[in-house]
Amino acid sequence: MKRYNIIGPILLILVWAVASQLQLVDKFFLPDPFTVIKKLIELIESGAILGDLFSTLGRVILSFIIALVIGLPLGLFLGRSEKIYRSVEFIIDFFRSTPATALFPLFLLVFGITDKSKIAVAAFASMLIIIFNTAYGVMHAKKSRVLAAQIMGATKAQIFRWILFWESLPQTFIGLRSAISLSLVVIIVTEMFIGTTSGLGRKIIDSQITYEISTMYAVILLTGILGYLLNLLFLAVEKRVLHWSGK
Amino acid sequence: MNTVISVQNLKKSFNNTKVLEDFSIEVDQGKITAIFGPNGSGKSTLLNILSGIIQKDGGNFRIENFNHFEFSYIFQNYRESLLPWRTNFENVALPLEIQNKSKQEIKQTVEELQKLFDFKFNWEGYPYELSGGQQQILAFMRALVTKPKVLFIDEPFSALDYENNLRLREHLQKYYLKYTPTILLITHNIEEAVHLAEKIVVFSKRPTRVIETIENPLPYPRTVQSLKTEEFHQVKDEVLSSFQKVANL
Repeated sequence: MKRYNIIGPILLILVWAVASQLQLVDKFFLPDPFTVIKKLIELIESGAILGDLFSTLGRVILSFIIALVIGLPLGLFLGRSEKIYRSVEFIIDFFRSTPATALFPLFLLVFGITDKSKIAVAAFASMLIIIFNTAYGVMHAKKSRVLAAQIMGATKAQIFRWILFWESLPQTFIGLRSAISLSLVVIIVTEMFIGTTSGLGRKIIDSQITYEISTMYAVILLTGILGYLLNLLFLAVEKRVLHWSGK
Repeated sequence: MNTVISVQNLKKSFNNTKVLEDFSIEVDQGKITAIFGPNGSGKSTLLNILSGIIQKDGGNFRIENFNHFEFSYIFQNYRESLLPWRTNFENVALPLEIQNKSKQEIKQTVEELQKLFDFKFNWEGYPYELSGGQQQILAFMRALVTKPKVLFIDEPFSALDYENNLRLREHLQKYYLKYTPTILLITHNIEEAVHLAEKIVVFSKRPTRVIETIENPLPYPRTVQSLKTEEFHQVKDEVLSSFQKVANL
């Protein structure tokens, strides 16, 4: 992490502190950042939030894994033939453009008011992003490398394994990162509205209803940190795997 | 002398521009033939048609006993044909993996070639860590590792400084004298053509014809010393005179 990376967070907290100090917003609706941060530390230290954190994280990871296991092979398969991809492109683009949360009632009907429906809808939305990006990665592979392998007498399977798969990876990783972010969004939203007793989304809504405003902000902050750290984790993995990228 | 590649009345246009029109040529087995001609004279187009990358519009061509496993083509854009996710060693080994050779055989064959070339690389490093010239050498080794019977080379030395250029020419000759493949070499550089080739074919502008085929009797191996000889300059002058006919000079 570079030293100037710290400027952003400091600026954010500063603006927040000034706004709350000057009472630009009613103190009741916007407590100052230090109260919120203190609250967050308190929630973590007492362990009161850990159960919610882990159940949200568990749901996000599970939905992401399901999306990955189905989406990645499907994207690779569809990308191999532009004709096949074009023939199902409408379905993918249509559901990709439909807000996943709009489909939630449908998933409720199928899976009932359980964790299953939350995970399923998040997995569904993430999967589409993974399919789309992976398939595009394969389709837009540099022709020169494929050509070189063809001239060497490579079979289609060899070209796929040794060239197309690798060529698609940078785009696939973009898909994976978007997918984990979207999983988090969908899981938080579904936790807010559909019967559950645990999860960060639930906690945010509960503290809003009971006017525990600083707790609400603390949990919002926590979801932000969680999303950011997930992104950071993926970037780190990406940098390791795609060592050639940008060179 | 056996003819390995024969081309008769080949035709090819791109967007109504006739690149090849009634084009014919024959290439002898086990010789280095250089193609020398102006830009846009269809040199690369010819190699691309012969190797099946693009389709001809008319005419015929034939490469005796053509087999992908015994054929190599070093592209002009060598950089984009190397695989950055593979180590330098794995890049050179790729054609052998494609031929399903055993790990041990691959290791042995690559090491044999490394000895012949004796360029100092980090074999466990990646192509993007190499200079442009080193990448070109890597592409060269990848093409030669299968001991091809027919080898196409398009502008092989363009990214190299003069010293490495001369070294690569020396290594290519060493390789050639050991395995005597048929080599078809495109070049913009008269010195390169005369240094390496036994036959130099001078192309006209579009639509391409063969202006002249010049025999080069200089004995192999041709060293840097050979570049300074009277005979070398005679052949070079001959190629230049032939080129002058097409180049408006």
